[in-house]
Amino acid sequence: MTVESTSPDISTSFAGLKLQTPLVLLSGCIGFGEEYTRIEGFSNKDVGAVILKGTTVEPRMGNAPHRVYETPSGMLNAIGLQNPGTRYVIDEILPKLPHHETQFWANANGSSLEDYAEVAAMYDDSPVTAIEINISCPNVKEGGVHFGNNPEMAAKVVAAMRPMTSKPLITKLSPNNADIAETARMVIEAGTDGLSVINTLVGMAVDIEKRAPIIGNTSGGLSGPAIKPVALWKIHQTRAISAKHNIPILGQGGLTTGNDAIEFAITGADALGLGTGLFYDPLICGKVCDDLRNYLTRHGMSAYHELVGSLQS
Amino acid sequence: MTESNRNIIFEEQAKVLAHIHHKGEQCIMRLHAPKTARDAKPGQFVHIRVSQAKALRRPISIMLTNPEKGTIDLLYKMIGEGTHQLGERKVGEELAMLGPIGKPFDLSDVSKRYVLIGGGVGIPPMVFAADDLIARGGKPVVFAGSEVEFPFALKPSTFMLPGITGNTTLTISSLEERGIPCRLASNAGLYGCYEGHVPNLARDYLLGLDEKERENCVLLSCGPHPMLHAVARLGRELHIPAQLSLEEHMACAIGGCAGCVVKTLENGEEKYRRVCVDGPVFNADILPEFA
Ligand SMILES: Cc1cc2nc3c(=O)[nH]c(=O)nc-3n(C[C@H](O)[C@H](O)[C@H](O)COP(=O)(O)OP(=O)(O)OC[C@H]3O[C@@H](n4cnc5c(N)ncnc54)[C@H](O)[C@@H]3O)c2cc1C
Ligand SMILES: Cc1cc2nc3c(=O)[nH]c(=O)nc-3n(C[C@H](O)[C@H](O)[C@H](O)COP(=O)(O)O)c2cc1C
Ligand code: FES
Repeated sequence: MTVESTSPDISTSFAGLKLQTPLVLLSGCIGFGEEYTRIEGFSNKDVGAVILKGTTVEPRMGNAPHRVYETPSGMLNAIGLQNPGTRYVIDEILPKLPHHETQFWANANGSSLEDYAEVAAMYDDSPVTAIEINISCPNVKEGGVHFGNNPEMAAKVVAAMRPMTSKPLITKLSPNNADIAETARMVIEAGTDGLSVINTLVGMAVDIEKRAPIIGNTSGGLSGPAIKPVALWKIHQTRAISAKHNIPILGQGGLTTGNDAIEFAITGADALGLGTGLFYDPLICGKVCDDLRNYLTRHGMSAYHELVGSLQS
Repeated sequence: MTESNRNIIFEEQAKVLAHIHHKGEQCIMRLHAPKTARDAKPGQFVHIRVSQAKALRRPISIMLTNPEKGTIDLLYKMIGEGTHQLGERKVGEELAMLGPIGKPFDLSDVSKRYVLIGGGVGIPPMVFAADDLIARGGKPVVFAGSEVEFPFALKPSTFMLPGITGNTTLTISSLEERGIPCRLASNAGLYGCYEGHVPNLARDYLLGLDEKERENCVLLSCGPHPMLHAVARLGRELHIPAQLSLEEHMACAIGGCAGCVVKTLENGEEKYRRVCVDGPVFNADILPEFA
């Protein structure tokens, strides 16, 4: 008797897109997709999508240093959306990216509804296959998390962008928001095709010698393993709404191992975001894919989607 | 000098071959990392995992490479949690390490006299640069400063240097043996060292040169901020270009997060550039902080 060994299928679908693996590299952690490929052994083919650094209509210089600082089981960042402007990214960067290796998604930001709409219109005519809406950036003075913390405003941003593009819109929700499920419901009604859960939590750190904030922007976004339990809970809460509407979740926040990935999937992440985990280990993607396949095999599952949302009550 | 470095970066499981603790919480570590050892250039650094815990890595300059043996040497100071954890690593352990990273010093014109000014744990890239220059027929001169005992064997120098007088006699033995002139400075009353800040020692030397020789000099420097300020001032005073190696907190060290920036002023335009891939070496004249 021969035993047929077929590797489980870890491809997944997300907002109508076919992802070759459920892993998605998160905005702000991999620049404009051109940097990590310099590392020997890194392959875009291990990931379903790469989300480019957040862009705005006009270029932004970003915040004064220090912009990053390690904290227990995580880190603070306050980059301040440094970017060369959406037009530059579309004209100069996107044409050079290896679109045959993986998909590239945009991350849209703005200080007003008009800004968000304009960024969506610009990316509509570009090779990105989806647009993530960052209404949860804690590190800019205007827009950002101020939109995300208010469910009505969040829905208005989505509604402003919706007519400007036929590409899938993925709304990135803030954990700093009191009622994430309500925000999810409202942005789904406004026409979002997917949800990113969660962005960073706001935090700070103090230099006790200088008696001054360590982060140039005073506060920063907390990411990494420290926020993983929060991320899982927020995914769980969001899924209670999103599953009813068939809206997928890109789970993220502190995923740094294969077991974390499995935990996110069971809780209901249709796709799995990696940010800070890449800083710890830039070659993590291939390892997480292997761990996922092994887990599926061990549990008699043939495809990733069988694992998604399989949480027993 | 503003193009970022695009070389291949390797992830190596670097085995600790030697790890020596010196006075002043300074440690010298030898690692087996053949790909980094083969490709590294002076001014580049490695991004090293300090323990098995899930944590950000720490950037440390490459002090010396031995491409034949596949080894690199690091000199670091234990200042906080991460570098203390690194200090606990034992011979035989393996550490995940990315390297070589960053834009190296521009040492392209060996007919220039490169004057290397290093302070504390800013000395390592100077050692590497001097070694590289001498191997290519260059004429490096090293000035090293420290407020604690130097973590190197020292001996009296046989090289005479203009402008250097009195009790400033000692040099780093390994540099002397490679034919590299060097003198030391300290405010801590260390024997055989110039009493004062290392940029002042370098200034005495530069003023001892005739004008034509001085015009042929290039300053390279790495060390604490006040020292870099003094080196930048020295360069301006004597009209000598200076390349400074900077430090900033890093997350990825690959150019992906824009977490490690320094402000530059280029053609009238202010920008934040990434220390990890656009630097760590920058020409002093584009850094408003050092203007
Ligand atoms: C390109 C480069 C080369 C370096 N080369 C050397 C070297 O050869 N020898 C050496 O002793 N040190 C070197 N440093 C400094 C070294 O990286 C820091 O001393 C180290 O990161 C401190 O970590 P810690 O956890 O012990 O200190 P903490 O103060 O506890 O660190 C807290 C956080 O701040 C960051 N941080 C603190 N100080 C610095 C700093 N000066 N530079 C960058 N990040 C910092 C840490 O990485 C960490 O994320 C270099 C730094 C850079 C950027
Ligand atoms: C350095 C850094 C920069 C970031 N920049 C952005 C950004 O531009 N847009 C955005 O939507 N999220 C940004 N984020 C948030 C991440 O995309 C991600 O949602 C968050 O870090 C949680 O995931 P993690 O714990 O895996 O890092 C950034 C995070 C970090 C650490
Ligand atoms: S540390 Fe991430 S860009 Fe330099």
